[in-house]
Amino acid sequence: MDTRPVLMKGIGEADLRSIDVYKSRGGYEMLERAVKTMQPAQIVEIVSKSGLRGRGGAGFPTGRKWQFLPENGEPRYLVCNSDEAEPGTFKDRMLLEETPHQIIEGMLIGAYAIRSHHAFIYIRGEFLRGYEIFRAAVEQARAAGYIGKGICGTDYDLELTIHRGAGAYICGEETALLNSLEGKRGEPRLKPPFPAIKGLYGKPTVVNNSETLSYLAPILRNGAEWFAGVGTERSTGYKIVSISGHVKRPGNYEVPLATPIRVLIDECAGGLRDGRKFMAVQPGGGSSACLFEEHLDLPYDYESMAKNGTMLGSGAMVVFDDTTDFVHAALALVRFFAHESCGQCTPCREGGHWLEQMLERIVHGDGLESDIDLLKSVSHQITGLNLCPLGDSIEPFLSSVVNRFEDQFRAYVKVPVAS
Amino acid sequence: MTATSFEELAAALKPEADAIVAQYEDSRSALLPLIHRFQDAQGYVSADAMRTTAEWLGLSLAVVESTVSFYTLFFRRPVGRYMLQVCRNLSCTMNGAGAIMERFRERLGVGHLETTEDGLFSYEEVECLAACDRAPCMQVNLEFVYDLTPQAVDDMVAAIRGGTYPVKPLAQTEAPARSWHVSKDAVPRVPGGRDVPDPNDPGGIGDRTGVIMLDRVVRDLSPDRTRERLVKDGRELLERGH
Ligand SMILES: Cc1cc2nc3c(=O)[nH]c(=O)nc-3n(C[C@H](O)[C@H](O)[C@H](O)COP(=O)(O)O)c2cc1C
Ligand code: SF4
Repeated sequence: MDTRPVLMKGIGEADLRSIDVYKSRGGYEMLERAVKTMQPAQIVEIVSKSGLRGRGGAGFPTGRKWQFLPENGEPRYLVCNSDEAEPGTFKDRMLLEETPHQIIEGMLIGAYAIRSHHAFIYIRGEFLRGYEIFRAAVEQARAAGYIGKGICGTDYDLELTIHRGAGAYICGEETALLNSLEGKRGEPRLKPPFPAIKGLYGKPTVVNNSETLSYLAPILRNGAEWFAGVGTERSTGYKIVSISGHVKRPGNYEVPLATPIRVLIDECAGGLRDGRKFMAVQPGGGSSACLFEEHLDLPYDYESMAKNGTMLGSGAMVVFDDTTDFVHAALALVRFFAHESCGQCTPCREGGHWLEQMLERIVHGDGLESDIDLLKSVSHQITGLNLCPLGDSIEPFLSSVVNRFEDQFRAYVKVPVAS
Repeated sequence: MTATSFEELAAALKPEADAIVAQYEDSRSALLPLIHRFQDAQGYVSADAMRTTAEWLGLSLAVVESTVSFYTLFFRRPVGRYMLQVCRNLSCTMNGAGAIMERFRERLGVGHLETTEDGLFSYEEVECLAACDRAPCMQVNLEFVYDLTPQAVDDMVAAIRGGTYPVKPLAQTEAPARSWHVSKDAVPRVPGGRDVPDPNDPGGIGDRTGVIMLDRVVRDLSPDRTRERLVKDGRELLERGH
């Protein structure tokens, strides 16, 4: 099975950071074709027809998102989200470091499609190396006439600005990202209004993930039908899946959507380590609920994941074998969310902190049997009461493993003895 | 950093700062980039840096401080020359990060969010660094290090101590304290004023000047106890230097 069919093609074989190498493989041809021969509306239509959905986590159809922009409303902005910090996800960093021109070309095509003259990319603060590589690529692209005044010899002006984050998972949430880009604390905004109506500087804005944007050039090259023909009717095309945890060959694998989970784990990632038994898989990043043995033949697509109470999210798959201590695993993720809460909503801020303290107590052997029910009850009470999805992300993994591996939690807690 | 050298730094950065501001439709967007530049030069985000950024962007100092304090990669106190940030999230924990963290704590003699006495190392346990395929992983001054083992930890610490580690040290313009984390270094904490060494000194928690004064105003001087009278008598007391 080819696990590098589109975006990952050539990674590790050619130096795709060099604009000459990228161009020798057809790079920037689609940008030229777009700005020279196509109307923005045509591109929106092709992308809509391709069925491309956002690869950043929410899976929203990209073409439809673009169509939410008001007809007039200059200026408007495109923002590429490269803040990647969802636990288990490591594909945007790879794209940034290995094939930056593909992101740039996607950003420029996307910006042209929404008639924007200024595109931004928000790069996670920790990705210093990725930032430097990307900056060098932008300079090459600018020198080649793809960025700036009159791109590709047309009269279309398009500026591209790189913005570095400074450490905050929540800045991956699109409205927090926009606040951070405006020089503010990265606190999510109340929606609506959605960024398409009121985004950066209060102007219509599209925020797209870097993987989403990277697919634009291949879609223009091969046609909407090509992309729509892969996967299922509503989960079309390819997706980079980051597989890690207890597998033999952790890594990024680009596969057609709806590839069975078992194939991803066994064929792509080489299966479990010798002598180990499969226990669970978290299929869509730290915010998703676990799936188990009985789910291994499910196709990995948006609908199948949703139907089974979890999500595809950013495409980060963490595999757990029978050596896993799920109490410690739950603590690691709960502590993450408690640490990353921006603090605006009481359930998220306080609830995450309570859960962290309860789990700390449990792993240190000071928990009570009643704490297990308390864990369930507190986590359910956090959900649904928050401004952004982070608060609702604390519960799914925790609940799924407490329910499935309750014996592991019970082994840690003290059972009151009748006196 | 002395006042003149900070002014020199600010003057040297000004043209670049202007270029950064010009990239954005609203100058406030330059806040994070400018703070990054100052931190690169000074090793941490100094009060001078925040004040200057506020001035350049036409913001209040409070706005700049509040924004800076939101982001974990901005250090509001001096840090060590090598910032060691070890991942403590899921995939790393499942692949041995616990032993790595233990080894660092042992070898360095410091814990989470702390700096060694010689100012060489700062140590922090951080969240997912997006390198789960190479777990356990970490960053040293934001350079990735993959597939860690306890032996690799020993080698790294020795190489940094010996001056042979291939990653450039951070700038260090001031000696770091035990922790750069604001919530941690306020120990022992004296409510009413961090700079009060003795809690009974004026401004400390044991300082009862205000209470005594109010008591005297109420008891001796203001028999009718109206609000206006209390304020007036209080002012007079203050002016007389009590
Ligand atoms: C807490 C939180 C963190 C997020 N982090 C990211 C991220 O790191 N990268 C990303 O592309 N999207 C992230 N998202 C999703 C964005 O809000 C947004 O949906 C996405 O960038 C849109 O791009 P897409 O439609 O191309 O997926 C996050 C969402 C939430 C709630
Ligand atoms: S849910 Fe949490 S992270 Fe999201 S806005 Fe509320 S407090 Fe902030």
